[in-house]
Amino acid sequence: MGAILLIFAVLMVRLYQLQLLYHGELDKKSEENSIRALIKEPIRGYIYDRTGKLVVDVGPSYTVMIVPSEFDKRTMSLLSSLLEMEPRAIEERIARARAYSPYLPSRLKRDITFQSLAALEEHLPLLSGITYQVESKRSYPTKARAPHLLGYSREISDAQLSHVSAYYRQGDIIGTAGLEARYEPTLRGEKGFEYVSVNSRGQVIGSFEEGMRDVESKEGFDLILGMDVDLQVFAESLMTVNGYTGALVAMDPANGSILAMVSKPDFDPSVMSGVTPSDLWARLNMDPDKPLFNRAALTRYPPGSTFKMVLAAAALEEGIINEQFRVNCTGGFRFGNRVWKDLHVHGSTNVVEAIQRSCNVFFYTLMFKVGFDTWTKYGLKFGFGRTTGIDTGEETTGLLPSTAYYDTRYGKGKWTQGNLVSLAIGQGELGVSPLQMARYAAALANGGTLHQPHAVLFMNNKRTNIMEEVPHAETPMNLSPTTIALLREGMRRVVQEPGGTASLARVKGIESAGKTGTSENPHGNDHAWYVGFAPFEHPSIAVAVLLENSGYGGSKAAPLAGMVVEKYLYRELRRPVPRPASPKADSVATVTQSLRENP
Amino acid sequence: MIDYLKEYFDFKAFFLCLALVGMGLVSVYSATYDAGAAAIFDRQLIWAGGGLVLLLVMALFPIKTLQRLAFPTYILMLVLLLVVLLIGKTTSGSKSWFGIGGLGGQPSEFAKVATILALAAFLSKTTTSLSNVRHLVIAAGIVLVPIVLVLMQPDLGTSVVFFTMLLPILYWGGASNFVLAAIFAPIIVAAGALFGTFALLFTLALAGAMLYWTRENRFAAAVALGITLAVALSVQTVYDRMPAYQQKRIATFLNSELDPRGAGYNVVQSKVAIGSGGVFGKGYLQGTQTQLNFIPEQWTDFIFCVPGEEFGFAGASLVLICFTALLLHGVHVAGLSKNKFASAAAIGIVGVFATHMLINIGMSMGILPVIGIPLPFLSYGGSALMANMAMVGLLMNFYSNRKER
Repeated sequence: MGAILLIFAVLMVRLYQLQLLYHGELDKKSEENSIRALIKEPIRGYIYDRTGKLVVDVGPSYTVMIVPSEFDKRTMSLLSSLLEMEPRAIEERIARARAYSPYLPSRLKRDITFQSLAALEEHLPLLSGITYQVESKRSYPTKARAPHLLGYSREISDAQLSHVSAYYRQGDIIGTAGLEARYEPTLRGEKGFEYVSVNSRGQVIGSFEEGMRDVESKEGFDLILGMDVDLQVFAESLMTVNGYTGALVAMDPANGSILAMVSKPDFDPSVMSGVTPSDLWARLNMDPDKPLFNRAALTRYPPGSTFKMVLAAAALEEGIINEQFRVNCTGGFRFGNRVWKDLHVHGSTNVVEAIQRSCNVFFYTLMFKVGFDTWTKYGLKFGFGRTTGIDTGEETTGLLPSTAYYDTRYGKGKWTQGNLVSLAIGQGELGVSPLQMARYAAALANGGTLHQPHAVLFMNNKRTNIMEEVPHAETPMNLSPTTIALLREGMRRVVQEPGGTASLARVKGIESAGKTGTSENPHGNDHAWYVGFAPFEHPSIAVAVLLENSGYGGSKAAPLAGMVVEKYLYRELRRPVPRPASPKADSVATVTQSLRENP
Repeated sequence: MIDYLKEYFDFKAFFLCLALVGMGLVSVYSATYDAGAAAIFDRQLIWAGGGLVLLLVMALFPIKTLQRLAFPTYILMLVLLLVVLLIGKTTSGSKSWFGIGGLGGQPSEFAKVATILALAAFLSKTTTSLSNVRHLVIAAGIVLVPIVLVLMQPDLGTSVVFFTMLLPILYWGGASNFVLAAIFAPIIVAAGALFGTFALLFTLALAGAMLYWTRENRFAAAVALGITLAVALSVQTVYDRMPAYQQKRIATFLNSELDPRGAGYNVVQSKVAIGSGGVFGKGYLQGTQTQLNFIPEQWTDFIFCVPGEEFGFAGASLVLICFTALLLHGVHVAGLSKNKFASAAAIGIVGVFATHMLINIGMSMGILPVIGIPLPFLSYGGSALMANMAMVGLLMNFYSNRKER
């Protein structure tokens, strides 16, 4: 009797435990057991330029799907020829698909051509377990490439799968570079789910609760860029036709938005949509010209004379000099036992003239009056030596030398003030990116506000239907109006006045300002720099140009910037085509010609 | 009129049995509903009808005749067990089933009844005394012979059930505590040996203590302890010499969760099924675990999941309550019965039912090893259903004739 009651009690207690105490947990397990979620892919967001032109589109892409348990191996050779895939590659994909589920469809091959699809469809009745679905892939309706800014999305790699959120699974597309990567959560949308009941072998029996619990996929949000796609196309062709290696960044000085960002050599981002053949990927990766490398944000070269406004600003702001202050340039500067030569003998020079003529002696002198630490302070103020916070992906901090930097690098007391001579004219260890330079030009254009550069202006929130402004930081530099006026006047004269170094940047009918620079390169030809903005009174575009190994800034970089400004402000090229001497520059004429014919 | 009937007809056992069989049919229907095994329900229904006839026949059989036929039936069953070993069909790894023409069955199910009756008949003989070692050995032999035959099939589960009927009957038959302890001690140390050194030492200590407290003379106690030690050591030695895969097999048998893809799979799914039922269950034919066939052949050993999942705590505890009521009633009948044979047989029947209930429901809920024995009245299976209903018939018989000596 007692034994029976004991058995009853034990079983009742266990029953209570399972059905009441652990009910929640076990109930969840039971749901997971019998319900599978089939994924509905969302449509990735579109990307528009500032004028509303569609820059990055979504087009249909056909993906072949396979249900491993239903596939008949005898049809392997047919499938292999239809898909132009090696049987071994197919088997490998099937094995992976089987690991996910033998009874649910998995992707076998993405992005087959329409012709392949037509052939496949014809044979579909013979191929059990094979289906196809329409998915989306990126397409690029304009001539703009801008691969480093737009970035690209690719099929997720095994390495990515292991560290991204559980949202993704094999075969999913994920933004991997540029805006596609940075705005991945915004662009991708959200997967939807169709719930189906499955039996213990995972076979689909039917919809679950008549689809009441199904979740529609949510479209990704669209991005509206600050980019002017016509300007981008124009700037890209200017670089391409001339065969330049380098970068060009055009920015709206009013808010720091990117009007155009070119890094050459580059690649066509459409090769990354759909399936990138591995040999092409390898070629891009191994190419000695590094087309995947974003020179606009990642290169670091000495800015040369383009940096002189920083030193001038420091001297003026700290009250060390005023506009009357003059230095007599005798064509050389003695420091210690060495004489540093200038290109010309400029004679008695004030700060405006020093910028206009790029007088090195003036700035050597200034550097020792201002002092290293103050120079570093103003360099930082103009945004050098730190990242800009741009939303397109990786960027360099550049290198802004400081006492601390030299102390670490060479040891305390083991470096001399001699280093300052190079820094005074933007050479030496100083390293900046074209992006930083564009921001610097924009700050000089707008009277001293440092903006966080950004490619995206708005995102179109499709849930609320509100165009949301993407916020960005702006930092007032608190430079006195006098200082700004003097720097700007110097830069105006660089372009507009005789004796300026950038007369080739002139645009007819528009007053421009700028500064040339030549980055000394111990390994080869010098790099040409130009920073500038226009119109002078109310600037609406700031430009930075870097042309690697192409010589003087004034002769190579300045005309490019001038044409970009002209194109942006007039929407077309009005300038009489310059007739430079070098044969390479001839192709600038060619491109201008061709752009007039095909706007 | 009803009072008169009540005097002679055991309504309680009858209706409890019908309730359990009814719940079984409902459960088997659900378990086979969508599994493409609808014929299973139809067959179970027919067997339930046959079982009902057998129950009534057993209820009306004169006790004296039963007692007289006990040994011949027992011998017949032993022969059948031998025959099944020689010509039986192998189903799921054991030779336990044989058929002639369209009819067939598992002799071991009926052998249980025959063994209970034979043991009861032997113990009820006036000449039998359990303090006599020879008689004790005979009593144990009556049970051990079918155990050996069933083990050869091999059907571990059923042989365990045979063994468990021995203790209650001997206890009821007046065996001394020492005898019970001497039988019990080797079993627990054998089990302990499989669970590792700590469990072995613990069960050895327990066995030693049991033998010490119940001892009648030192010699017998020493012999019993010696046998116990020998069993423990031999189990330990055999286990240690087994290849690793066999050891693993035993380990997963004892703790099926070690093997979530094999034996443990059923237990995990069964726990999920029962636990997900909650208080009132998912509704009849709505249990996802049951309807989507997560537990293979659920209608046999894991039938308890069906009331658990589809009727929840309410349904599952009703099954437990019905069982327990039937068992308590059986003990009550054994107490009422003035006939020693009937009384011992009733206890044997209770022992068998209780063992089945404990092991089957215990394994469904993951607290006991997965020993494949069915849940009486609920599990699918003709021989078991009919044998169990026959045993209820016997209980009813003993109730009706409780005043007969």
